[in-house]
Amino acid sequence: MLDPEAAARVIDHVYAQGWSDGLPAVAATEETVRRFLEETVRQPDEIVGRHPQLEREVTVRDVAVSAIMVGCLPEYLPVVLTAWDALSAERAARGGGWQSTSGPGALIVVNGPIREQLEINSTGGALGPGFRANSTIPRAIGLTVRNGFGIRPRELEQTTVGTPGRWQLLLGENEEESPWEPLSVETGLDPGQSAVSATLVRDFELVDNRSFTRAEDVLADLVDTIQRSGALIGPHSPSGIILNPEHARLFAGAGMSKQDVREWITSRAGRTEAELTAVGKGLSNGGDGPFAADHFHPTIAGSTPAHLPIIVAGASNAAISLVFRVLGMWSGTSFPVR
Amino acid sequence: MTTAIIDPTAGLRAAAVAPPAEAARPVGFSGLRIGLLENTKHNADRILSALGDELAQRHDVGALVHRTKPVFAMPLPEDLVEELIRECDVVVIGVGDCGSCSASAVADGIALERVGIPTAVICTDAFVAPSQAMADLKGAPEYPFVLTAHPIANLTVAQIADRGRELAEHVEARLVLSDSLAGLRS
Repeated sequence: MLDPEAAARVIDHVYAQGWSDGLPAVAATEETVRRFLEETVRQPDEIVGRHPQLEREVTVRDVAVSAIMVGCLPEYLPVVLTAWDALSAERAARGGGWQSTSGPGALIVVNGPIREQLEINSTGGALGPGFRANSTIPRAIGLTVRNGFGIRPRELEQTTVGTPGRWQLLLGENEEESPWEPLSVETGLDPGQSAVSATLVRDFELVDNRSFTRAEDVLADLVDTIQRSGALIGPHSPSGIILNPEHARLFAGAGMSKQDVREWITSRAGRTEAELTAVGKGLSNGGDGPFAADHFHPTIAGSTPAHLPIIVAGASNAAISLVFRVLGMWSGTSFPVR
Repeated sequence: MTTAIIDPTAGLRAAAVAPPAEAARPVGFSGLRIGLLENTKHNADRILSALGDELAQRHDVGALVHRTKPVFAMPLPEDLVEELIRECDVVVIGVGDCGSCSASAVADGIALERVGIPTAVICTDAFVAPSQAMADLKGAPEYPFVLTAHPIANLTVAQIADRGRELAEHVEARLVLSDSLAGLRS
């Protein structure tokens, strides 16, 4: 028989110990850890995350403990571990990003058949809430940052306000409705291979362009959003797009590949020195200055998938895409689930 | 029946024994090579330059050695540490004005103290918590860091010069034994 009062006492205990991220968390035991570890081929002591500055490491076992505490199912563990592989390739995550004033979350993208096996949502409401795998896997990352690295708010972590949904940012790519190759294939993995990609994200903005008639109009709307100055803290504002399937099909129907879309955007998104100066972000006093007033500063530094990741996701029920801002730069690598 | 709950923070326990993080201090600045290790944060180089100029004006220093920490949130690269050991008698580090770089500046200071280099780490007063948290984590909870008012990124040229002057006295106290104090001790 279930004992709800005992469960509440355990949750209170977890809060009292300072182990929770603010939401209710359950407790891990040797038995539940054993059950989770059966789901991976990795050894419990294998190190999956390192923090050079703090000289701290987290192991498969540490990650399993966090996954249990936030409500993951045992079979999610390989995706959580692979998300750590992906995040460990992010220079920003290794280099202090978890402590950043911008308070970035880990945006985790899943490709391949594991989406179906774990019921990872890639369509309507992919960024949640309401879907266990989407909600708990990224939360497990956050809890490991807190309890495994010891990076807690207002201590080592110095987030100014924070990123909405910081530890809730996982979605599957909507491969079924995408006209293009999946992100993981674009980065070199085989089609049909389950994979995880991840980067640190500090902002999202809507591109609600549902009454479109022409591809160029929607592309221009994406450009206008990407080149906004708000997120700029230097010459570039590394970005990515969660592209609505309707927008993706519009572009593909106009004969564009994903790379064509990327280049269309990166070649146009930018501000002149005068425009940046008008918002107090002129670059003339920096190391590469001074610049003429009409000098064009591109928002994105290049045109590879790492410079502007494009992920097709969401429902085909209103053509709403999202632009996100990357802290640092995505590694441009996807990792096979293991 | 009760089942033991796993402590998810068990791995965080600091090493029981940490080496001391206070290098021996020289007496006065005369002839000293002062390292100015700026961390690429906006205005950090200018503030350290202003501070170095002020120290050079107040003392018969040997040299001002300007160096840049390439990645502000990461530990110092080994070759840079070796260069600082070779070329500096004392090192000023700064300016810690973000979550990761303030903590990292303190970690660098403690690491250099442990190889025998007196350090003064400058952080802004918005980042006391991560600076102290890093000192605790490195087993040097008493390690002092010099605070300057936040923010620094928007200071004017004149304000930067003022900041350099204000900091000089605090940095001096961190880096050397004063001549008069040394006289009392001898």
